[in-house]
Amino acid sequence: MAGQERESQLLSGLFEVGAERLKLIGDHAKLLMQGYLRGSIDVAAVSERSLKRLIAARILYQPDASTEVKLRHPVTQLVAALVTDESRRQIDAGVADKLVAIRGYVEGMREAQRMGDGVRVDSQMLRIEEAVYDLTSQFEEAIFSLWHRLNSNFGFVSNLSDKIRENGRAQQQIKRLIEGLSLIDFDEFIELAEGHPGLRKLLVSRLQQQINTHHGSLLEVQKRLVELMTRFREQQERSLLVVNMAGFLREHPSFAIGDYSYRTQVPRLVNHAAPVLASAGVALDKREQQPALVPLIHSLYKELALKAKVDTASSNSNSIEVNAKQQAVEARQQQLKEDAMQYFIAVCERAQDTQAHDAEPLSALDYLQQQQLSWPPEVWLFQVLGEYNGLPRHEQQLFELYRQEQPASRFNHLYLIADIAVRYQPQSAA
Amino acid sequence: MPHGPLLEALLAGQYICAITNEDYFTKLQRDEVREGLDDYLRPLNRRVATNDEQTVFFLAYRDIDEPAREHLKQQLSVVMSSMLPLLEWLTYVQEAMGSDAILTAGDTIKLQELMVKTEDNPSLRQRLQALANDKFFNSNADAVDAQAKQVAKRLVEHGYLLQPHANRLYFTVTGKIDYLLDLVRFIKDEENIPLDESQSQVELL
Repeated sequence: MAGQERESQLLSGLFEVGAERLKLIGDHAKLLMQGYLRGSIDVAAVSERSLKRLIAARILYQPDASTEVKLRHPVTQLVAALVTDESRRQIDAGVADKLVAIRGYVEGMREAQRMGDGVRVDSQMLRIEEAVYDLTSQFEEAIFSLWHRLNSNFGFVSNLSDKIRENGRAQQQIKRLIEGLSLIDFDEFIELAEGHPGLRKLLVSRLQQQINTHHGSLLEVQKRLVELMTRFREQQERSLLVVNMAGFLREHPSFAIGDYSYRTQVPRLVNHAAPVLASAGVALDKREQQPALVPLIHSLYKELALKAKVDTASSNSNSIEVNAKQQAVEARQQQLKEDAMQYFIAVCERAQDTQAHDAEPLSALDYLQQQQLSWPPEVWLFQVLGEYNGLPRHEQQLFELYRQEQPASRFNHLYLIADIAVRYQPQSAA
Repeated sequence: MPHGPLLEALLAGQYICAITNEDYFTKLQRDEVREGLDDYLRPLNRRVATNDEQTVFFLAYRDIDEPAREHLKQQLSVVMSSMLPLLEWLTYVQEAMGSDAILTAGDTIKLQELMVKTEDNPSLRQRLQALANDKFFNSNADAVDAQAKQVAKRLVEHGYLLQPHANRLYFTVTGKIDYLLDLVRFIKDEENIPLDESQSQVELL
């Protein structure tokens, strides 16, 4: 009974000290986090008394005579685990130690059982449970940390080479963890738990199940880490290739590759054939395809019509100009025709004036000059001829047309008309 | 012919990867489809070819005759003249985006983001400027905005990038980039280019 009392006293003392020290951590949370991030505590930022208390509480320590104050390792580890800071988190796979502890507790419990010390049996059983929990939770924690690193793609380090190193470190850890798992000998545990159902359940069935799960998880993480490592290495290789080749080409601007295409064995990668465009035209030699073509052509017409509309709209101003020009030309033509008519009227008047049957024929060129008309002689003669030929036959007979002409050359019968003269002869109509 | 449009794309000289056309790509992964196409292409002196990783398919000459050799020679010289600007562009994007890896098929580029990062960094601006002025990208603009757009446009034209929506400035990297890197690797090995690995590795760190 005295033992039990002493133990509870001890426990209550432990409780109080623990609670007090945890509170101390809480009170100096910011200071401690700064120390965690910087590597040492800023002594100036904390009172002498607090510093002493923190050191006494085994939270901080002074490594040597220097004034530098640091966080103790377990505190650093606590923070690293709480914030899953993978670069600082360490995984301790000291399975052997824990197995020795479990063996010790089981022996202690058996001893207490033999001596009939129920309290000690219970407390030893509690310790065993804790030790087993400690053992498995350590793997759990490690596996969680590994998955975390994997899923964040080792984002806690900034460059690829560091990632490759971290990945290597993680793979080493897995190896150690798997080795640690293999240290757990279930045959031994079966023996240890002999005849004690509670112990058997704890040490054999439950532990075995958990260890199997962990083992499976570790193998899975390992596989994924190896895959990721391969990818990292590929990325590294590509980066190096690109950077180095770019550097090389920059330094050797006149670099030329060999005549790969004229080798007997043309390299596979180089052999990329020239494009062949598969074009086709409309063919009407298959009657059954015509129903398909007709709407196509119709739609094409519509498109063309639309296009034409757009074209005329844009060229409207153009056509106005053209119209104006055309009108001017027409007006001149009309004037020419009128002048020619006037010439014939002049011929008639001349005949009436003279009252003679043998009035002199009127030369077309003379008339042109008299009236000071601006037509070129050639155009004028042509128009007069045209006008004469345009008259109805009976009116034509009223005029006598004289051509003043001469042969163009001795070798053919081409005659050039130099002038035309016309005389009015009313009696021939009679 | 059951794979008409696929054949036409191949005949047009396209590189077909999972990004440019997933449907065609899955078809081309099947041996019997490739064999069928090869039979069809025989009179055209073409066959379906791929890179080592089978991430890109394209048409190669079946028998390499004189005109084929001449064509390949010209094509290679075009590729070689565009190689440096392309590699420089790859390192520029990697640096601008602070990425671990060189772009690879399936990666996306948000041009807006790239432009913002370039605007803020004089060294990146200079690199983009030099790139844009290269005759391969052929831009004489002064603004980052215009330069970046021209560079992206040329890369789309050459099949290295894909622009899923014509009016949106994001691009997907196609398998042709991987093909280009395969070619770079091949040339490095073939020409025994002494790329001092350890030296640059230090630089890279």
